[in-house]
Amino acid sequence: MKSMEARLARMALKGDQHAFAEIVGLYQDKLYYMSYRMLYNRQEAEDVVQETFLRVYKNLDRYDDTMKFSTWIYRIATNLCIDRLRKRKPSFSLDAETGDHDGIDGYSMIPSDDRTPESELMLSDTQRIIHNAIETLPAKYKSVMVLRYLQDMSLQEIGDVLELPVTTVKTRVHRGREFLRKKLEHKL
Amino acid sequence: MAAMNCNVAIVSMHDYLDGELIREDVASLKAHLIACPECRARFDQLERTEALIHNALDMRSGVVETSESAVRTQRILSGLPVRRRKTMGWTRWLRNHPAITVAAVFAIVMFSSFIAMWEQDDQLTVRGNDLTQLVIDGDTVTVPQGVHVKGDLTVENGKANVLGDVEGNVTVIEGSLYQASTAHISGQVKTIDQALDWFWYKVTHSFSSLAY
Repeated sequence: MKSMEARLARMALKGDQHAFAEIVGLYQDKLYYMSYRMLYNRQEAEDVVQETFLRVYKNLDRYDDTMKFSTWIYRIATNLCIDRLRKRKPSFSLDAETGDHDGIDGYSMIPSDDRTPESELMLSDTQRIIHNAIETLPAKYKSVMVLRYLQDMSLQEIGDVLELPVTTVKTRVHRGREFLRKKLEHKL
Repeated sequence: MAAMNCNVAIVSMHDYLDGELIREDVASLKAHLIACPECRARFDQLERTEALIHNALDMRSGVVETSESAVRTQRILSGLPVRRRKTMGWTRWLRNHPAITVAAVFAIVMFSSFIAMWEQDDQLTVRGNDLTQLVIDGDTVTVPQGVHVKGDLTVENGKANVLGDVEGNVTVIEGSLYQASTAHISGQVKTIDQALDWFWYKVTHSFSSLAY
C-alpha cells in the first residue's frame, strides 16, 4: 500500500502537473516554516522552498518509495538550509566555540533579517527569547530541534531525514533543550 | 534503585520528555525527584522549556496567510522547467552511465569490423618462413613428401595437405588439414574456423609479432 504522496509523485513523474501542484500544496507551508526557523530570513526561506521543489521535480524518478516521501522532501530542504548556514561562515571558524559560553559559536554573531512574519510582532518576551536562542543554535542542533518541535517528528524520523543514528539525534535534542533551558532560566 | 545519581536523573528527564522512558524508570525518576529538590527544580524548568519551545515553534502560532501561500504556490509552479522532457528509460540510463555507453559503442564497432574482416577474407593466404618448396594447386597447399619445411606454416582459407616434414607449428584458418602418415610436424597443429578462435588468434598473433 503506497502513501498518497508516493502515488502523487508517480503521477507527477508521468507528467501530471496537477499531481505535482498537489505535492506543492501539501508541503510548501511546512517547508517554508521549517526553512524560516533554520535561517531566520524570509527571502532565504522562500528561496529554499523554491529550490526544494525544483529538485524534487527534477529527481522524481530517483525517489525511492521505500522511504517516506516526507523524509525525502525534508532531507532535501534541510540540506539546502544547512548549506546556506555553512555559506554564511566568514573566514574564521564558526564551529570553534567562543570562550566559556557553551553551545554558542560564531553562528550567533551573524545578524539576521529584521523582517519577521507579521504574527511575530505580537510575540511575548519569552517567545522572543526562545526564537533568539534557537537562532543562535549551531546548525547541527538547529536542524534537529526544528524537525522535532516544528514538524513533530519522532527521533527515528529525524534520524532518517538527517541520515544520523538515533542516538546522535537524541543527544542533540537533549543538548538543545538544555541550551534553551539555560537561556530561559531567569524567565522560568 | 533507591538512590539515583543526579546525572542519571537528568538523562532520564530528557528521555521522559522525549517520551522514551520505560515505565520502571519513570517510577525511579519520580522517586528521585521527590528526594532531590535540585533535580525537581531542574525538571520543572525543563518541562516548561519544552512547553515553550513547542509553543514557539508550533506552525499554527505563526499563521501563514492564505494569500501568501497561494502566491508562493504560483511562483513555485511557474519556476519549474516548462515541459518535462519525456525521456525513455534507456536513454536516461545511457546518459547516467557514460563510461559503459562508450565502452559498449567501442565494443560494437570493433566486433562488427572483425566480423566484416572475417567474412570478407576468403582469399587463400599462405604464410611461413620457407615457402619455396610448397606446391599450391587451387586452394590446396601441399607440403610434398620428403620435403623439409623449416619454421611455422599458416594456411588461411584453404586446405593444407601435409605429406612431408614441418619443423614448426601448422595453423589452418577456415579450412581443413590433411596429414599423411609420412607427415611429421614438430610443433603444434591448430585448426581455426570459429570467429572467436580467429579473433583470439589475431590478437595473440599480433602480440607475439610485437614481441619479436
